[in-house]
Amino acid sequence: MSAALDGGPVLQVRGLTVRAERRTLLDRIDLDFPARSLTAVIGASGCGKTTFVRTLNRMVELTPGLTVSGSIRYHGQDIYDRGVDPVLVRRRIGMVFQRPTVFPMSVFENAAFGLRVAHEPEAEIDRSVTDALARAGLWDEVKDELDRPALALSGGQQQRLCIARALAVHPSVLLLDEPTSALDPIATQRVETTMRHLKEELVLILVTHNVGQAARVSDRVAFLSAGRLIEQGPTAEMLERPRDPLTQQFVSGRFA
Amino acid sequence: MTEPPDPATGTGPEPVPPPAAAPPARRGWLRSLGRAVPYLPAAAPAAIVVAVAITLLLASGFHNFGWDFFGLKFNSDQGVWGVGVLIVGSFLTAVPALVLSMLLGLGIAIASTTYLPRALARVLDPTVDLLAGIPSVVYGIWAFVAVAPWFGRVLNPWLASHLAFVPGFAANSISPSSEGVGLPIAIFVLTLMALPITTLLIRDALRSVPRDLWESGLALGATRWEVVRRVALRHGRRGVWSAAFLGFGRAIGETVAVAMVIGAVDKLPSNAYDSTWTMAAFMFQELDAAFGSSRYLELLAELGLVLLAITFAVNLIGRRLVAHLYAEEVAGL
Repeated sequence: MSAALDGGPVLQVRGLTVRAERRTLLDRIDLDFPARSLTAVIGASGCGKTTFVRTLNRMVELTPGLTVSGSIRYHGQDIYDRGVDPVLVRRRIGMVFQRPTVFPMSVFENAAFGLRVAHEPEAEIDRSVTDALARAGLWDEVKDELDRPALALSGGQQQRLCIARALAVHPSVLLLDEPTSALDPIATQRVETTMRHLKEELVLILVTHNVGQAARVSDRVAFLSAGRLIEQGPTAEMLERPRDPLTQQFVSGRFA
Repeated sequence: MTEPPDPATGTGPEPVPPPAAAPPARRGWLRSLGRAVPYLPAAAPAAIVVAVAITLLLASGFHNFGWDFFGLKFNSDQGVWGVGVLIVGSFLTAVPALVLSMLLGLGIAIASTTYLPRALARVLDPTVDLLAGIPSVVYGIWAFVAVAPWFGRVLNPWLASHLAFVPGFAANSISPSSEGVGLPIAIFVLTLMALPITTLLIRDALRSVPRDLWESGLALGATRWEVVRRVALRHGRRGVWSAAFLGFGRAIGETVAVAMVIGAVDKLPSNAYDSTWTMAAFMFQELDAAFGSSRYLELLAELGLVLLAITFAVNLIGRRLVAHLYAEEVAGL
């Protein structure tokens, strides 16, 4: 259902530019995201990587005063075309935030949220929730306490619940905005394991400032600096033999 | 307790050196009092409530009235004082007013936090504070001279013809001489007066919802309305309940404005448009009549005690509920 129809990229970004009143936050980004891959978007704080993923599901429109130009094609369809409903875009392109953002309701209802607002039938909700919790690597830990409040889970479990919640609506792209920045090393490891499993079926786009994490989980790396895409390529190549001096500085930890 | 050595003479019973940091011994009660000083301001509100309750109780002569006090028979000429009529009147005005002001408050708060452009919200938000600043007597006189006649001519007949199927609302029950004074206009005034507190508290509750929680809802393909309904109101539900309980306290205690439009008759309303009386308005309006009758003053004092008890109980229930909601949220109790 979610695989690319023609073997081309699932998401194709061309000339993407985001401007605030006086500043240019993203400057003519061109980037492709192939099916079944995990691309790490790396860069220093403030380089525009969070803004970048927020353009990919039109979350950027929630910030007043930003203008987006260029194109983002999802299976060939520009998601910024007039007549494209952002609500539907977000059902196909899911998102997980920096800190766990579980809702004040039960574990089950959290995972079911996206299905309920899409008016899925009850039987379908049960099935999709179970499936999503399993894919997020959380099912074994919560299967006996689905009715407990999600806020009673540990931080790492909450973050995997957020991943499950995004998976439950069957997106074909999942955006992860520094999903482990609020987690301890063990919880981080679990989320990374989950990401490695998920990239077998989805397009994952991971924002991280952690080069080690990019090395552990990603297939491809894109390096942003000051709103520009400096360099991109397969992970091993990018991290071991970067061509651009800026990339070299960043991946070797000598970035100013 | 061992006796400390006298530092002046050095002649203790046994020259045991005191612990290095021990302060010089003072009289115990003085020291306790000194330690209590910082706590005293915190205890002041509790002390005031207790003092008000006790002195009102002393002034009321509870035994004189007994349980007939709460009865529905009321005739001050015959000395039959069952204030149940007033209690019923207070609830008949406060509860509908609370429901209406909660609905309006929800509407205003949701609109301002969710839908309005930020610049417009910044202009409109403070206007709620302006409402809160209008003296109640202004609401009262405005309602009496400008709104009540319209209620009598237009709104009450309209309600009577459209809600005739609801008991008490039928068309034949409007008394034409009422000038619009009675329950509907009193509820209207109370709704406006409770509105600032309900709106402000609900708005704060919605504002306290973290931005990334909103965005998470939207990122799952929910509309703004669905995020408000399923996530934000749930996240802020303690604030919403606080708004309800504080709004109720406001509505049941409001005096002057209600006194001006309730009709002030000591009987149960016979229909939804009838005049009646409330506890607060009665105490205020009967104070003159009560001079010279110690028994009547005792009755007013006891009525004050009843109103105090009701607001206190509502407050207590509200606090318990809010605390319970919190426990449920994080621990699933």
